[in-house]
Amino acid sequence: MSTEHEEDLRLLRDSVSTLLDRAGGVARARRVRDEGKGRDNDVWRELAEAGVLGVATPENAGGLGMGLSAAGVIAEEVGRVIAPEPVVPTLAMAIGLLHRTCPDVPVLAALIAGETTLAVAWQERDLRGVSETIDCRFVGGKLTGSKDWIMGHADGAPLLVIAKMDDGLALVQVAGDAKGVTAKSARQSDGSAQYSISFAATPASVLAEGPLVAAALSEAVADATALTAAELLGLSGAALELTLEYIKTREQFDKPIGSFQVIQHRAVDMKIMQEIAEAAVREALTVMDNAATPLVRLRQASRAKARACTAAQQITRESIQLHGAVGYTDEFDVGLLLNRALVLSAWLGDAAYHRRRWLEIRDTEEAAQ
Amino acid sequence: MTDWNALSDDEFRAEVRGFFEAEYPEELRHLPHRPKFAEIQHWHVKLHAKGWVAPAWPTEFGGMGLEAAKLLIYYEEQQRYGVNRGRDMGIQMVGPLIIKFGTQEQKDHWLPRILTCENIWCQGYSEPGAGSDLANLRTSAAIDGDDFVINGQKTWTTMAHDATHIFMLVRTNQNTERKQQGISFILAQMDQPGVEVRTITTLAGETEFCEVFFDDARTPRANLVGEIDKGWSMAKALLSFERIFIGNPGLAQNALAQLETFAKGRGAFDDAVFRDRFAEVALDVEDHAALYSRFADQLKRGETLGADVSMLKIWVTETYQRITELMIDVAGPDGSTLGPLQIGNIGVDVLASFYKARPSTIYGGSNEIQRNILSKAVLGL
Ligand SMILES: Cc1cc2nc3c(=O)[nH]c(=O)nc-3n(C[C@H](O)[C@H](O)[C@H](O)COP(=O)(O)OP(=O)(O)OC[C@H]3O[C@@H](n4cnc5c(N)ncnc54)[C@H](O)[C@@H]3O)c2cc1C
Repeated sequence: MSTEHEEDLRLLRDSVSTLLDRAGGVARARRVRDEGKGRDNDVWRELAEAGVLGVATPENAGGLGMGLSAAGVIAEEVGRVIAPEPVVPTLAMAIGLLHRTCPDVPVLAALIAGETTLAVAWQERDLRGVSETIDCRFVGGKLTGSKDWIMGHADGAPLLVIAKMDDGLALVQVAGDAKGVTAKSARQSDGSAQYSISFAATPASVLAEGPLVAAALSEAVADATALTAAELLGLSGAALELTLEYIKTREQFDKPIGSFQVIQHRAVDMKIMQEIAEAAVREALTVMDNAATPLVRLRQASRAKARACTAAQQITRESIQLHGAVGYTDEFDVGLLLNRALVLSAWLGDAAYHRRRWLEIRDTEEAAQ
Repeated sequence: MTDWNALSDDEFRAEVRGFFEAEYPEELRHLPHRPKFAEIQHWHVKLHAKGWVAPAWPTEFGGMGLEAAKLLIYYEEQQRYGVNRGRDMGIQMVGPLIIKFGTQEQKDHWLPRILTCENIWCQGYSEPGAGSDLANLRTSAAIDGDDFVINGQKTWTTMAHDATHIFMLVRTNQNTERKQQGISFILAQMDQPGVEVRTITTLAGETEFCEVFFDDARTPRANLVGEIDKGWSMAKALLSFERIFIGNPGLAQNALAQLETFAKGRGAFDDAVFRDRFAEVALDVEDHAALYSRFADQLKRGETLGADVSMLKIWVTETYQRITELMIDVAGPDGSTLGPLQIGNIGVDVLASFYKARPSTIYGGSNEIQRNILSKAVLGL
């Protein structure tokens, strides 16, 4: 990596972290949750003005063209303060899909400018979990089927949907209040709402179709997966920092609890876990940036998510333990971090899922050699 | 009155199981939260009518007078059927102390009210500065005529917002050589001007525990249990039964059953990795139960338990946590969804179980403190 690029990333990190800290840091996440709003529109606008949403979009599609590493820096900062706004879903999924399939549609520029948000609905449920196939159909201008695990959506807002059309896939846009739309939301551990939406002959407009859509979906999901890993990394770093601070100041038996050797060793293990995760996630993003093949990108995304999920879960759970009873309260920030880690771990595949994927891809690569 | 101890273990187990199955309200089985008294009152009335509120208390005080072996069976069946323990701090903690150390007047006054739940108790031990280091407590009780005047703060007081009384450790003597001296055990009424309760919301969004502030609150000197300034050794003189009870397999067994139901519904048993992880936790539970019965047999033989009984608590709480973590893994993409996840017509509240398991390694003497005790008292390190 060139030192110039590194310098750019450092500046980007500084500006995003300053913006998010000024907005209220972790405490803001609690406030937004308690107000039941899902996001803070002023912060969203500021993020867009800082160029955050188009950071990984090529310049010729209206973005900054700084690549995934830069988006990773942003995701880490978002994770550090568990910002409730749908930065990764918007940046990687909505914008990622559009700039790869239809870079000229006006809605792309509006998304990058933060004037609108569009949740992307692509996963479908079968008995066991996420279905391997897409059954939602787009025929004669009408959409029929159901989608699940939709992140960053709000009641009545428009959506992007991936549907089956002829023999391939299509990317379509649906108005949230269109005919035949039934939306159900389920409250998540972090207070956010995740939607399942069904369509019954719902009118929709096609933005893109053909083989291009499947390829773009796979790329966008890989990006979103790796960036969610970066978000988890920021989150576990914040949990570690809070816990180190706490064990240095909390006194029992007339000394800081951080002076007990067992606590010291546990803190060191958390630190190692965090450093391993940081090295893995950042390396994965760099490899993904450097024009790797689709298969390599998928493998790196899985590697990053597997590691970041494990680290975030272990670190947040251990953080609660080392805080004692205060760690189990809503008042202390570690609880918010644990609850957010649950959401980010579950979304786009947990550690076990990605370990399996990683090995499957490696097998495929070996077979091809 | 039936002499339950005269029954064989199997007969007694059948008796207890039969009663729970016939009488325990279905809607209260396996409650995911700690109920307020009003929610379980109809059950408490039945239990009281049967004379089964206080299984461990001697019969002369209205208990069942169960010996250790029978008592374990009672609790095993209670856990197995998902019978809520109710508001049992009076039964489990303050009652036994009054029975052992209280005056006749105290027994006559308090014990019947514990049984009827006319008085509902909460435990005021911990303070902001006194958690693992409980002897560091500062809340004071000063003698003023016939009263104690209480000032200070308790915290993590489970269900204090639904309690009529609090039993507490307070400092009655500031000038002692060691922190453990000068602590007394007193009882106080919650509903009075000098007591203020503030609920604390947990990370699961529940309000189960509270802060309790004392600002010149009063309690009659007659509410001192045992000797003044000698409360520490009294509270610490845990009956060996309590120490085994906290390490009982119940919570882990229930969670394992829940995991099995959920995993079957999700088809997880077709997956080799899951099968291995399931077998691992299932054996963790089964083998813990074997160690548990070794300690239980010791009790049955009338022996007192040593510090080594702490092993049970460490193992069972950590197993319990792993089981609930595995449930989240099985839930996969639904692992952050609050509320019951449907498996056919059964709902399994995966996150509620996960949350409930988290603090089990913190309360009842944190697992770190238990390990400290084991390494010193058992391994001699
Ligand atoms: C759900 C819940 C319900 C509770 N209900 C009640 C109640 O009804 N009444 C009541 O009085 N209390 C109650 N408690 C409080 C409980 O007893 C305390 O949480 C416990 O004693 C630990 O104290 P602490 O939380 O202050 O943690 P701390 O003592 O501050 O400990 C923080 C961390 O440091 C570790 N640590 C501390 N000292 C050492 C050491 N010497 N060596 C190694 N590690 C150490 C601990 O293990 C922990 O991981 C409850 C707690 C919880 C979580």
